[in-house]
Amino acid sequence: MNQSAPAGVGDSRQVLIYDPSLRDGHHAVRHRLDKNQLRAYAAAADAAGVPVVEVGHGNGLAASSLQVGLAKLTDAEMQTVVRDALSHSKMAVFMLPGWGTTTDLREAIARGADIVRIGVHCTESDLTERYLDFLREAGVEAQGVLLMSHMASPQRLAEECAQMVRFGATGVGIFDSAGHYLPDDVSERIAAITGAVDVPVIFHGHNNLGMAVANSVAAVAAGSGIIDGCARGFGAGAGNTQLEVVVPVLERLGYTTGIDLYALLDAADIAERELMPTPPTISSVSLVSGLAGVFSGFKDRVLDVARREGVDPRDVFFELGRRQIVAGQEDLIVDVAIALREAAGVPA
Amino acid sequence: MNRDEPVRVAVLGAGLIGIDLLTRIQRSPSLDCRLVVGRNDQARGLRSAAELGCSTAANGIESLIAAPSPFDIVFDATNALSHAEHWARLQPLGTTLIDLTPSMVGHMVVPTVNAGDAAAHANVNLISCGGQAAIPILYRLAKRYQCDYIELVTTAATRSVGRATRLNLDEYIGTTQSAIRAFTGVDHVKTIVNLSPARPAAMFRVALSIVAPGLELEPVRSLVAAAADEVRAFVPGYRVTACTVTEERAFVAVEVAASGGRIPRYAGNLDIINSAAVLIAQQHAASRVPLTAGEVS
Repeated sequence: MNQSAPAGVGDSRQVLIYDPSLRDGHHAVRHRLDKNQLRAYAAAADAAGVPVVEVGHGNGLAASSLQVGLAKLTDAEMQTVVRDALSHSKMAVFMLPGWGTTTDLREAIARGADIVRIGVHCTESDLTERYLDFLREAGVEAQGVLLMSHMASPQRLAEECAQMVRFGATGVGIFDSAGHYLPDDVSERIAAITGAVDVPVIFHGHNNLGMAVANSVAAVAAGSGIIDGCARGFGAGAGNTQLEVVVPVLERLGYTTGIDLYALLDAADIAERELMPTPPTISSVSLVSGLAGVFSGFKDRVLDVARREGVDPRDVFFELGRRQIVAGQEDLIVDVAIALREAAGVPA
Repeated sequence: MNRDEPVRVAVLGAGLIGIDLLTRIQRSPSLDCRLVVGRNDQARGLRSAAELGCSTAANGIESLIAAPSPFDIVFDATNALSHAEHWARLQPLGTTLIDLTPSMVGHMVVPTVNAGDAAAHANVNLISCGGQAAIPILYRLAKRYQCDYIELVTTAATRSVGRATRLNLDEYIGTTQSAIRAFTGVDHVKTIVNLSPARPAAMFRVALSIVAPGLELEPVRSLVAAAADEVRAFVPGYRVTACTVTEERAFVAVEVAASGGRIPRYAGNLDIINSAAVLIAQQHAASRVPLTAGEVS
């Protein structure tokens, strides 16, 4: 990193920074980014030397839906705009099996996706088999990531990651989709995974408990080689690991990212100005969502439904957590809110 | 075939669906399951079938072809990508196929909508569990309203979804969408599949969103209720849990509890497609054998 603070302690070790601002950030703006917004941020991230820029609907390929939200642009439009705006950075896309299909993968690759991430609930890595197989054949970099990973033990996560490597993943890791982890939780899990695989291990944090940067540092210390960060934390719920914070923090710790600090700060300023009405904050409901262990992306829908049904959104989050609802199950938010209203004896 | 004897059937596939299907066939007086066929890696399912008193074989389609005389009906409970070959091998023997994989090869049947079609087709496809749960309702709504968009979200418990289904998600989605288009005439259709890891396991569920001008709550409710009543005639655990209309959008949620089989209550996904398969097979049997009292016609 140029213009960095003096190098800190520790060996210089490369950490790959992966930027899902234009995918996860979509959760914060109901999937409504337009072409100019995508172009402006992608170009800025590229100029800063951010190695990977991910783009898409918040839930990935083919996810525009009433269930989660209708995107402003098609997958094709998003990928084409971002591809054109990148000259050095790789373009990545994300897919949840059950949402997108092989056809969507094939089309994304034809539009220039360099990296494809397949995301599954943390105990269901066998769902990645067919897609990782296809991607290996197609010759693109294929990563496998486990969502809502706080719901499984370190040992289980390690086994699931090892299985995805056998299927052909060139990087594997965990998402703290609910922003539930504390640093020791992350250290234990990343250590278990790095002990089980010989590919780079990914950590993707959310900031519901104010721990995203600390958790990412813990992940790197435990052996993670790929860290996700979003500009200004632009992302679901309380937001993601803040990109322009985690990068210089890692550099001070002695890791190298290859990213230019001033250009990164410029990109973050552009993101704040162009992409979001206001940067994510740890609102009261987001804090509750993290404590309850519920997918951060549910926030807006929970607020909408709770208002309509006249129930406390915090109660909705705790009940969703009790029912162990996972990413993608937005249709149950209505059921839970109605059940809470009826339990309180309030008529419709 | 001797008209006094039950129809000779075989189940191809010894996974979660195949074994539950066997228990249902065994309760049907008009069907006689002579063989359950798996592969070498399905030892557990084949053991269950043997414990249920059925002959078993482990060499896939070859075991069926090698049988001394052809079966009247074969249920294909393998996977979507193998079905075309199974059909090609069994068709010359005069066997009727009831396909429980989302292969899109045979004629698509949803019992409450077009069960009558099945008799004219030697290869009947049952689409998917989500299709079986959703289409009875969607068909009725689409007959009444000019729908612009239909979205189906299915959620099954992780434990109720076996390996073949996990490898067939593309076909599950593609075939379910095609079937919804074919049965409703609506072009703009989306299907989403979620698996729930919750413990205790979540009941199989389909959530439907329908966008159409002129939707009104009362007529929607009564159409949905009527469709559900028809399905309950052979899937007792089929239940509408939500039905709302806001502006031009209807939202309908259905849960299916399994009943009567060896499978747990939450596995309504297996129940609804297996109940449909047995119903179609019984109908096939009834077309040859005089009906006895109590049998489904």
